[in-house]
Amino acid sequence: MLRRKDRGGEYSIFFATDVHGSNVCFKKFIGAAKFYGADVLILGGDVTGKMVVPIARQADGSYLTSFAGREVQLASDEEVATFERRTNDMGFYPKVMSEEEFQELWQQPDKQEELFHSLIMARLEEWIEYARPRLAAQGVKCFAAPGNDDSFFVDEILARSGTIELLEGRVVELDGMEILTTGWSNETPWKTERECSEDELRQTLLSMIEQLAEPRSAIFNIHVPPRGTVLDQCPELDEELRPVHKGGNPVMMSAGSTSVRELIETYQPALGLHGHIHEGRGIARLGRTVCVNPGSNYSEGVLNGSLIRIKSKEIKDVQLTQG
Amino acid sequence: MATASDRVFLRKASGLIKTASNTDVFIYDIGLVSIGLGLGFLLFFGPAAYLGGSLFVATILAGVAMLAVGLGMLTWTITIPRSGGIYNFGTRSMWPPLAFTLSFVEVTAWLFYGSFGAVYLAQLGIAPTVTAVGILTDNSGVESFGANQLAGRWGTFLIASGALIIGAVILASGMRRFFFTQKVMFTIAVLGTLAFLGTLISLSRSDFTGAFNSLMGDRLDVGSDTYQGVITAASGAGWHDPSFDWSRTIALANWAFLPLIGAAFSISIGGEIKQVAKGQTIGIIGGIVGSVIIWLISFALIFRTMGSDFLGAVTYSNLNGVEGASTPVTPFPTLLTGLGANSVALTILIALGFIGWIWLWIPTQILYPTRAIVAWSLDRVWPDVMGKVNERTHTPIPAIALSLAGGITFVGMLAFTSFFQLVIFIEVALLAWAIVLLAGVFFPYRRPDIYEKSPISRIKVAGLPVMTVACALGAIAAFLFFFNLFFDSFAAGHARKSLEVMIGWFVGAFVIYWIMWFVRRRQGINVDLAFKEIPVE
Repeated sequence: MLRRKDRGGEYSIFFATDVHGSNVCFKKFIGAAKFYGADVLILGGDVTGKMVVPIARQADGSYLTSFAGREVQLASDEEVATFERRTNDMGFYPKVMSEEEFQELWQQPDKQEELFHSLIMARLEEWIEYARPRLAAQGVKCFAAPGNDDSFFVDEILARSGTIELLEGRVVELDGMEILTTGWSNETPWKTERECSEDELRQTLLSMIEQLAEPRSAIFNIHVPPRGTVLDQCPELDEELRPVHKGGNPVMMSAGSTSVRELIETYQPALGLHGHIHEGRGIARLGRTVCVNPGSNYSEGVLNGSLIRIKSKEIKDVQLTQG
Repeated sequence: MATASDRVFLRKASGLIKTASNTDVFIYDIGLVSIGLGLGFLLFFGPAAYLGGSLFVATILAGVAMLAVGLGMLTWTITIPRSGGIYNFGTRSMWPPLAFTLSFVEVTAWLFYGSFGAVYLAQLGIAPTVTAVGILTDNSGVESFGANQLAGRWGTFLIASGALIIGAVILASGMRRFFFTQKVMFTIAVLGTLAFLGTLISLSRSDFTGAFNSLMGDRLDVGSDTYQGVITAASGAGWHDPSFDWSRTIALANWAFLPLIGAAFSISIGGEIKQVAKGQTIGIIGGIVGSVIIWLISFALIFRTMGSDFLGAVTYSNLNGVEGASTPVTPFPTLLTGLGANSVALTILIALGFIGWIWLWIPTQILYPTRAIVAWSLDRVWPDVMGKVNERTHTPIPAIALSLAGGITFVGMLAFTSFFQLVIFIEVALLAWAIVLLAGVFFPYRRPDIYEKSPISRIKVAGLPVMTVACALGAIAAFLFFFNLFFDSFAAGHARKSLEVMIGWFVGAFVIYWIMWFVRRRQGINVDLAFKEIPVE
């Protein structure tokens, strides 16, 4: 693949997002630099998974777990290892334990939270160790940011990694372009960790925009997409998180942020990098700004991404990929 | 004790919610079978052109074959639950140029069938209805308008094009309006079908004969006992009622298989189905079984009320132009049942039901290509502008417009030329499906990394992955019906022109892919990257 020096100043960014703990997707992300010939890797928010899958040892020596809503019996350690690999790749956190431990955890949400914490940390540290030699060998810059689904300790782990640079809440220079980043989103029905009002989000973003020397050539790496675009369409949910139907049909709505849209329209940065809405895979233009949401298919082990070619601070092309 | 779904721990996080319910999928699929159009095909072409063919056996054969195809597609869509149909399956399992070629061939075929449906909306839906109303009210102006103007070339072209334009406008205005319209039309179709079946149940043979003689006596030139005269005239012209013939029955099965393919169309919306395994099973299998049952009941009732000899004779005379021995317009079940009921209101209700079934085909056959066009554009093998989605309606208007333009072109060719053998395009689409099903046989072995994440990955049949078995059966069924059509010169056949169309379509699609590949290369874009899987060290 051509490197930047061979391409008359052109370079490329590979951006993927919402990998939600998927081992295989993260490994593909690290491999993307070499595969696509990208000079910079940016991992968008929601890096952590949502589900622990206990694999409970039974009295007869077998293991009981569940997959796709069904109970699954695993007869041997080999089957357990295969199951663990499969669920790791789907973004789950499999955990072998005794049936007694499972029953105890089942009744104690606090302990479940502790378990999540330890498994998420272990997964992230494993990823960092995986990435370290590979990124060093390729000489590729790798950035990451959390999303609204990620706990705050994720920032600490990424920040101290020394391998992947944490972008959250900062303005960072990237080959003459500045990139501002936040994983915070406007309010969602799930009341996740990094949510705030539109006003608060606007203030957060404005405080970073003020630091930009040249907003028109900047990259706005904002997890939540701008409202009312192809990037933010999803079904409307009721208070029980069930899709709202009218006349027997699901009601679709925009889940993006009005503040993000307003600020993009006002400052017209070169590029907007977004995620959050997995179904919202696509490219949208807001004035001169190219906004992209590669979407996510992490549970299938497919890494949705976008390959962005940049030259002289202008976006030459955005290509969506499904690796 | 924890249940299966409880044996996991979840944390507070946002979730991907998919939209289409099981009912939506069922309506989507059974609507695309178009029970009314299938009934029309079978009851018109069957007795008239497939002498010796049994409608009952042919329909069951087609149902069994389509179940095999449906099961194969079901395993694909459960394993890769994404919208876009065979394009997504193909790009995950085969050479991208081939995947694009198959997708192109498939979607243009379905677009053709959208136009086919629109043409039949005019010829088998609206024109016979207006004609029947003219006959029942003894209004020769209305009767003539229906029989001559609406069923004529220009009438057909204008009605069919109008239907496509309305369908495209509904799609362009938003998916919510589209689903709402489909549900309204589905309700009308079901009500019309109930009225149709109810009328047939309430009519005796003598009721029908009396009404037919009274209404058609002056219009046909077959003597005073018009009903019997129709049979006599057709017999004189070559129609006969031979004994059961397997070869004609198998050939006749094409006409049941064609609409049944629609039952698997929910593979194109796999990414939008909430419980994909359950929803798709209900939609695909329910669509096939439900349609076959309704058809079989309808055949039994039609034969009881009208008589198989009469139906064979009247359709034969119409198809072969036996002077003065058939109805003024195509003797579609709506027309005949309406005449039998001798009621304008019932005739209109029944006709509306059939029009509803035919309508269900039209916008969805535009929608299917539209989704593929957007997917191609996102993958850069099609012009970027075709992937643009309108911000207000969130619909891909350029792709809809392109599909509409293609559809109207097909309508024009169907109305004004004899270029297309009736269902020639089904052959190319079936071939595309058969190849994708064949790829599915090997998919669990070639892509275990993807297959093992499928909810069906642990299901084995005779020690083989269920996907391998289902796709093998589906591929066999699809290839068998491909050859069945290939050797049925009435439906599709293999005339030189047909073969040229088929081969040309595949080659053309392949060439388009490479043209786009080179164009993108010149723009510095490597389209291969859109499909290739990143290797994991």
